[in-house]
Amino acid sequence: MCNACGNPAAPGHWTEAGTVTPGDRLRARFHRIGVLRAILRPYGLTADDNGAVPGIQVGTLFGASVIVDTLSDVWAEAERLCGRPIDPLDPRYLGDDA
Amino acid sequence: MTPEPRDGRIRLTILGGYLGSGKTTWLRHQLHAGAFGPRVHVIVNEAAETPVDDALLAGAGGVTLLAGGCCCCTGRAALIGALRTICDARSRLAASAPRLERIVLETSGLADPGAIVAAVQADPVLVSHIVLVETIVTVDALHALAQLATEPLGRRQIGAADRLVLTKVDTAEPQALAVLRATLGEINGHAALSAAVLGVEVALPPQPTDARPAPLPLLPDEDARGPIRPAQVTLPEGLDWSAFAVWLSALLHARGDDLVRVKGVIRTPAGRFLLQTVRKVVQSPEILPEQGDARQDNSIVFIGRGYRPEDLGRSMHRFLGLPSA
Repeated sequence: MCNACGNPAAPGHWTEAGTVTPGDRLRARFHRIGVLRAILRPYGLTADDNGAVPGIQVGTLFGASVIVDTLSDVWAEAERLCGRPIDPLDPRYLGDDA
Repeated sequence: MTPEPRDGRIRLTILGGYLGSGKTTWLRHQLHAGAFGPRVHVIVNEAAETPVDDALLAGAGGVTLLAGGCCCCTGRAALIGALRTICDARSRLAASAPRLERIVLETSGLADPGAIVAAVQADPVLVSHIVLVETIVTVDALHALAQLATEPLGRRQIGAADRLVLTKVDTAEPQALAVLRATLGEINGHAALSAAVLGVEVALPPQPTDARPAPLPLLPDEDARGPIRPAQVTLPEGLDWSAFAVWLSALLHARGDDLVRVKGVIRTPAGRFLLQTVRKVVQSPEILPEQGDARQDNSIVFIGRGYRPEDLGRSMHRFLGLPSA
């Protein structure tokens, strides 16, 4: 843990399992941010991870942005920024009412 | 039973069950028979101030008693402290020395196993030393039906179990036993079921085909989102773990309180991951050895309510941009 910023607070979040070398971790981060970006975009949110700054940056299209530690925090922050939870089982999301 | 992890963490087994359902009796025999191996530490939690159970548990490598507070709520700090002390003592030994391998936590009859897992996961020290392998819940064959009809806690305990042990089966009527087994299947169809008399395993009689579960009336503090049901989702070949983790973390954030349990083995390029969640809490997946039964791989069980089971697979495919199943 870095004693200036306290990151990472816990060793290896579960979503980062299987990444052993720093190279693996970086590749996984870049890949993950691509997936996340595509999912958040329809909700008017952005996601960024440049590989250097720890954590994931979640923002709105108006420029508000926040850095969170893990994927679990991303969803809490996304819910706060867009005012409703992002629910993968939402019938609207599944296209049932289309 | 969950395969053994190889990462050197202590395996934690939680033993739960309603008050008087035979937890200590069962555990005492298991320790005597060596079911948990030689290097096991037992933690006994009792909600009452006066301890009784610890006197019964010889046969363990060490016993810690936590009295006067249920460890899922008021006694949580004491539990974390006890676990830290155990981890600390173990860390002082060389990795090559015979070290503690297993902790069995016998909860008080009032504990909710989910809350205990959450407490262990939230502790920065314990999370890297302890991994939960199994939740065993004892079920009193004589009284469980009456308890399940009125006690939401009894239902929660059953819902959280990986393994259910029916106790006192010798005294129960065969008819009542069949109804109880059908009812347990309704609440938690995923858990393995066995039976014991005074801790000694006995064979269950064949389940009659006409056994119907007892009606479970909705209880005041339960909502009307329907019963907890298991659903299976088969993952596509060559699944991308990062993308799957994005979906699952979103799902748990939105629906974590409804998803009592998610369990399964996922095959990824980095190895076979054992995934386990309890409500919103996820353990860092263990990487399982390649050998072993691989037939169940890539089939994840979701136990929960408040959604249509078939929606899970569709949601995952849509989220990950995969072609529809």
